[in-house]
Amino acid sequence: MLKLTDHEKAMLDGKMGKFKQKAMEFNVRYAKVLGAEEFCQVSRTTLFIGAQHYLDCYKHGEEYKKIFSEFYLCSDEEIELGEMAPECKVQTCAGSCDMWNCDKTHLSKEYSDKNKAYTEAARKMGVKIVESCTPYYVGWIPLMGEHFLSTESSNVVISNSFFGAYGNSDGVEAAVCAAITGRTPKWGMHIKENRYADCLVRVKCDVESVSEWDVLGYTIGRKLPKNVVPVVVGDFKRPEINRMRQFSSSISVTSATELCHIVGITPEAQTLEMATGGKICRHEIEITESDIAESLSKICDEGSGPVDYISIGCPHLSLDELKEISEYIKGKKIKEGTELLVWTDYATKAMADVNGYAKDIEDSGAFVLTGSCPIVMREDSHKHATGMVMNGVKQAVGIRHQTKVPVYYGDIRRCIDAAVKGRWEEAE
Amino acid sequence: MMEKIVIKGRGALEGIASGPAIVFPDSIAGNSGALGDVDGVVYEKGNINYGISIKNAILVVPCAKGSNGFSAHFKGALIAGVKPAGWVSTKIDARLGVAIASMNMPAVVDFTEVDPIKVISTGDWLEINGTTGEVVITKKNSD
Repeated sequence: MLKLTDHEKAMLDGKMGKFKQKAMEFNVRYAKVLGAEEFCQVSRTTLFIGAQHYLDCYKHGEEYKKIFSEFYLCSDEEIELGEMAPECKVQTCAGSCDMWNCDKTHLSKEYSDKNKAYTEAARKMGVKIVESCTPYYVGWIPLMGEHFLSTESSNVVISNSFFGAYGNSDGVEAAVCAAITGRTPKWGMHIKENRYADCLVRVKCDVESVSEWDVLGYTIGRKLPKNVVPVVVGDFKRPEINRMRQFSSSISVTSATELCHIVGITPEAQTLEMATGGKICRHEIEITESDIAESLSKICDEGSGPVDYISIGCPHLSLDELKEISEYIKGKKIKEGTELLVWTDYATKAMADVNGYAKDIEDSGAFVLTGSCPIVMREDSHKHATGMVMNGVKQAVGIRHQTKVPVYYGDIRRCIDAAVKGRWEEAE
Repeated sequence: MMEKIVIKGRGALEGIASGPAIVFPDSIAGNSGALGDVDGVVYEKGNINYGISIKNAILVVPCAKGSNGFSAHFKGALIAGVKPAGWVSTKIDARLGVAIASMNMPAVVDFTEVDPIKVISTGDWLEINGTTGEVVITKKNSD
C-alpha cells in the first residue's frame, strides 16, 4: 500500500497546481508499477531533454507545451508549464546536438533552432543548461545517501557506485516528474538493503588503461546474470575517475546494472563482507583474457580499412584527456575528407580554451564539440560516413544500430592515428 | 485441443490485454536507434527479434537493458501509433517500470514460481490480466 505525506497528497490533489499534480499522478502510477510503499526526497536530477529524437513522433511545428504534457507528464490535457521543485537541483543531460556548431555535425539550422527553443523552454522552468553526460566533472555530485535521478545510465552507475548516492536507472519521464515534485518512489537502489552485492565477479585478466576498463565493463555486463548487484575483486592497480567513467558506461550497455561495487575502491565495498552485507553471493563469475578477446570481436570490426568519421569522447571527456589529446595531436594534420570529433561539455571546453588545448586540437583540423555525440545526434549527422572509429565501447556498440558501415574501436591515440591516416590499422 | 498454460505474477498495471507474444530473452537495448522511435521496429544489432515490429504484441522480457532512454523510445513509438499491447517481465526494474507507467498499459511482472521467458515462445497467444497478475498462454503449435 502506497503511503503519501501531506505534502505529497497536496501535490496529488492539485493544491499546488496542475503542473505538479500531473507529475505526481505519474509518480503514483510509477510507484504502483514498481510495488513501492513510499516516496523519497530527490535533491538532484539530470534530464535528457531538448529536441531529442524520441520526439520525432511529433509533427514539425508542434507546440512544446503539448509535447511536454503528453510525453513527460503523460497527460492528454495540455498543462501550463510551471517550475521545477526548488529543493531539487535540475540540469540537462546530453543534448541532441552541439548548441553552436550544427554545421560541423551535418545538422540543419532548422533542427538546431528547434533544439534551442525546447532547451530555452526548459530553462524557463528552472532547468540549468549543462548538456553533459559526465556532470560530475562540472560539479553535479550527489553525496553518499543522497537520492538522485539521472537519465544517463553511466552517471547512475558512477553516482551509486563511486559516490555512494542512491538512484535507479529510471527514464526521462520519471526524471522530469521527480524534478517537478522533488519525489520519486523509494524503491530499488534508494533502499540500503537492496544495495548489497549478490554476484561475485573475479577479474582474472590484466586491466589498467582506460580502454581496458572500458572493455572490462562491457564484458562483465554481458556475463552477469539478470537482476543482480555485482561486486568486483581482482589484482589491479587502483583506477581513477576517467577509467571508472568508461567502465560505468560500458557495463550499462550489456546489462541493467545500476550499482557495481569494487572491493577496496567503492565506498560501500571497503571489504567484500561490507559489499555483501556478510552474506554469501548467490552467483559467481570469472572474467578471463578469452572473455575480453570475445568482447573485442563484438566491439571492433575485423581487419584494417579506410575510415572517414572518428569520434572521441563517449562519455564526455575530462579536461585531463583534452590535455592528453592536445599533446598527442599537436603538429599533426587530419587527412582531408576525414572528420575527427572530440566531445566534452561546454564548461570543460571553456577551460580547454583557456589552457590552449582546444586550439592545439583544432589546428589539426579536428573539432572540439560540446554536449552531444553521434549516437544521440542520430543518422543525419553520420549517414555520409563510409568507415568509422569510435573511442568508447558504448559509442562503438550503439552506433551499429544506426549504420551498416565498418565500425572500429580504439583508444584515444589509435583514434587520432586513424584520423591522420584516414585508415584504421588492425593491431598486431 | 488448444494447449493452454496459466502462469501468475504480480499485476503491475491494471487492465486486460491480448496479443501474440514476442519473447526477448536478452531484453531490448534502451539505446538510441535500438528501437525505431516512429516505426516500432527492433534495430538492435544481434537481437533475436531484429527487424520485427512491436505493434500490437505482448512483449516478454526478463528485465530492461541498456540506456536510460529505454522508456522514451517505447513512448515515442506509442505516440507514433505503433504501441505494443502489453508487457510481461520476469522481474520489474526501474527502466521497465517507467516504460509501463508512461505507456499506461497492462503489465504482469515479478514471477516467482516460473520464468515466463522459459515457458512462453514467440508467436504464442497471450491474454494478460494486469489486475490479477494472470497470464494465459495458448501455445502456437497446439492443435
